[in-house]
Amino acid sequence: MSPNRRVVIVPCSGIGKTFGTVSREAAYTVVEDLRPDATELVALSLLVLGDEEARAAVAGHPTITIDGCRLACATKMVQESGLTVARSFTVLDAFRKHRDLKPEGISSLNPEGQKLARILAEEVAEAVDELVKNET
Amino acid sequence: MPILPKKKVGIVACSGEEMPEGTVSRVAALKVLEELRPNDTVTICLPLFLAGGEGDRAFARFYPTVAIDGCEKRCAARATEIYSGKPAASIVVTEVVSRNGLGPIRGSRRLNEAGMQAANLVAQEVARLVDGLLGRTGQAVEGAAAEVPEDEEAAISLCSCGSGIPVQKVLVNGRVVTLIALPAIFEQFYQSGKRPGEGTTRELLEITRIYNPIPPEEEAAYAEALAREYEKYCRKQVS
Repeated sequence: MSPNRRVVIVPCSGIGKTFGTVSREAAYTVVEDLRPDATELVALSLLVLGDEEARAAVAGHPTITIDGCRLACATKMVQESGLTVARSFTVLDAFRKHRDLKPEGISSLNPEGQKLARILAEEVAEAVDELVKNET
Repeated sequence: MPILPKKKVGIVACSGEEMPEGTVSRVAALKVLEELRPNDTVTICLPLFLAGGEGDRAFARFYPTVAIDGCEKRCAARATEIYSGKPAASIVVTEVVSRNGLGPIRGSRRLNEAGMQAANLVAQEVARLVDGLLGRTGQAVEGAAAEVPEDEEAAISLCSCGSGIPVQKVLVNGRVVTLIALPAIFEQFYQSGKRPGEGTTRELLEITRIYNPIPPEEEAAYAEALAREYEKYCRKQVS
């Protein structure tokens, strides 16, 4: 991880449900559009299967998880890997606050799903700013 | 009348978000699931699988799986093997890209043209493997077939779609074999008015074969076991 990138983002990675797609889209929005210099994506499977680089990134930097549903696989698995989650978000919570934005589609999200992902990404970006501020 | 669970193939994609090849694995998996073989495949959610999702793990123990990995770290194949059983087949995107001389794959979020080509090639390869696993083409399938563990204690296992898949242990050639869906098959036959006999045994063998691998050289032994167990089942129904 580049020294400037101080926050790790771990999305849910699920491909079977729309909420997983929203979590991934939100993660990409944060990492590529909103806070490209402060964040880095780490894949859940690498982390769980013990990839040293992935574990080092999470161990050395505050980590934000973005889960699709209440099963919270990303959060649980970062914790079960012996690592710490600084902040956790779920698409389900975001949807509860924005009932008009019902996400649909897995391969490609409908416009409502994209808006929901953007809103969630903005919340995550704020959390990134707080974590970076606390670090300095 | 009971509806028998149809034999399907589980697709496990690595989905690694940090690299374009992970996205290729995800796009290819979705193409198979949604377009190429929607009725023959289900997705096995890797995060849930890793987090201990019993339904997904049980599915992969009883049904064949195809792992699609972005790179040689093979997270999907390794996770499937660790938590369930060896995948029936495994594909690595970087190998497909190299074999087909595709240009550099770019765009973890939105794949470039080479990435989309790779996804299509991987999806077609997976669809062929699915056909092979379901016995549609008779083509050879690389890797070991998923096997029902002999020490499986539970009489009922749950598939990832949430429907119960009943299993039954029977004695074939002196050894205990677990047959998927057999209780439901017996129930369906009985309710259809089919009684024990040579014709019924032949039919039982054919339908049992859909859900369970039956080696040709053991067909007679399986037929004998099915006839015996069905006779017992029918006796229980009238007593």
